[in-house]
Amino acid sequence: MPLVTLDRSPPPFFKQGPSAFTRLMFFSALAIFLMVADARWRVTQPLRAVAATVLHPLQSVMLAPQSWWAEAGHYMSGLQEARHAQLAAQKQAADQSERVMRVDQLVRENARLRELLSLRPRIEVHSLAAEVLYDSPDPFTRKVVIDQGSSHGVVLGSPVIDESGVLGQVTRVYPLTAEVTLVTDKDAAVPVVNSRTRQRGVAYGTPQVLGMELRFMAGNADVQVGDELQTSGLDGIYPAGLPVARVAKVDRRADSAFARIVLVPRSQPDNSRHVLLLQPVSDQLPERPGEASAMAASAPASAASHHVKAESSAHAGHRANTARAAASVAASGAKP
Amino acid sequence: MMPRGSPLLMPVNPVFIWVTLLLAFALNLIPMGRTGAVPDLLAVALVFWNVHQPRRVGVGVAFAFGVFMDVHQGALLGQHALAYTLLSYSAIAVHRRLLWFTVGSQAVQILPLFIAAHVVSLLVRLIAGAGFPGWTLVVAPLMEATLWPVVTFLLLAPQRRAPDRDKNRPL
Repeated sequence: MPLVTLDRSPPPFFKQGPSAFTRLMFFSALAIFLMVADARWRVTQPLRAVAATVLHPLQSVMLAPQSWWAEAGHYMSGLQEARHAQLAAQKQAADQSERVMRVDQLVRENARLRELLSLRPRIEVHSLAAEVLYDSPDPFTRKVVIDQGSSHGVVLGSPVIDESGVLGQVTRVYPLTAEVTLVTDKDAAVPVVNSRTRQRGVAYGTPQVLGMELRFMAGNADVQVGDELQTSGLDGIYPAGLPVARVAKVDRRADSAFARIVLVPRSQPDNSRHVLLLQPVSDQLPERPGEASAMAASAPASAASHHVKAESSAHAGHRANTARAAASVAASGAKP
Repeated sequence: MMPRGSPLLMPVNPVFIWVTLLLAFALNLIPMGRTGAVPDLLAVALVFWNVHQPRRVGVGVAFAFGVFMDVHQGALLGQHALAYTLLSYSAIAVHRRLLWFTVGSQAVQILPLFIAAHVVSLLVRLIAGAGFPGWTLVVAPLMEATLWPVVTFLLLAPQRRAPDRDKNRPL
């Protein structure tokens, strides 16, 4: 009888390679090195891109159960609901057609007036449609992954909108997919303007509360519940005039110089399926003034602008947004 | 040496190890929404093979799978790699003792390992500047430890087959 119950190769007595502890030390050091390289130096993007491309076939296969689930849900919801949805969509289209026609006319009128005043033409924004593949499972952040990547022409820093408002910003681009940081992420900041009072501010993501928060507004600032906030367009990333959020709660406290203003995002950060990627506005703006003219300006100002420029060219992320928006807020605050 | 009364197992098929690890990884890729309460099946499978076959599945394998998990989640690169490395080392460190216990006691003894892995992930992210994601995180290690008996049954099944099949023992 063959000895099938025995492993044919007995464990080697002496040649067992490095001990588990040595390996632990080596790989822990490697992991910590990777983290520093990722968080501080931001040099791991090529490694990520390679790994993401290798993973992509497996990921798309494993998305199938989710789409089956969604398909089953749609099938169950049935014909009746589809009819209702169609009627609602037709009604909405009829409502909007009148406005669309008027907008068309207004755009032409605006162009003529701008020509008359010899102003620069407004920036046109190019867009790219995409579909949300899945919510990133990382519980520490608020991100989604979309099905368009650098091979489709997605650029880092592009604003992303859904049908009702600003959804977020592309913060990582892979060859076939891209990661979008939602406006509700802790690190996200959108420069906004209150459409009623034209007061500028910066909306930050707060994942714990309703979604966003308008920070650094004075305790007696004119902000009311129900105010609509739009992008201000000052950051060079988001085009001006996109709806961002609505004021849900204003909490004026005696112990703080700032009011606590809670916002509800206009977009659906957790339910969006089809989204639109816009080209960052800064790509179409003229070049910033060169170093020579920056030198001519006062020293601290040039240092600040250099810092902002370096940041934005480094990763075009929300930090640059924050810095510029904060600068603009400071400027508007300084003006009487 | 092995505990008295435990069945003599067939040698493991290396292909089976890799297939189960890849399957656990693929199951981890299914989008389940953004919550901390989803058990990490890959971690359970890695710990299982670290305990049962420490010579075949070691710390390096855990590290490599961790890097791929990081890329998939868009997390800090190295976060899962570090957690899995520590998990794998602790599993190898306890593997001689652990197999003397019943499966239920094994699950209780393996629970601190999973908790430690999640705490390491949490600490790394808090140091890197993320916010605290909420107490649902506590559920994940508990579920992973609960899965231990199931995983033991499933992954040991091929080794429990009879060496010589006959009419009474078809498998």
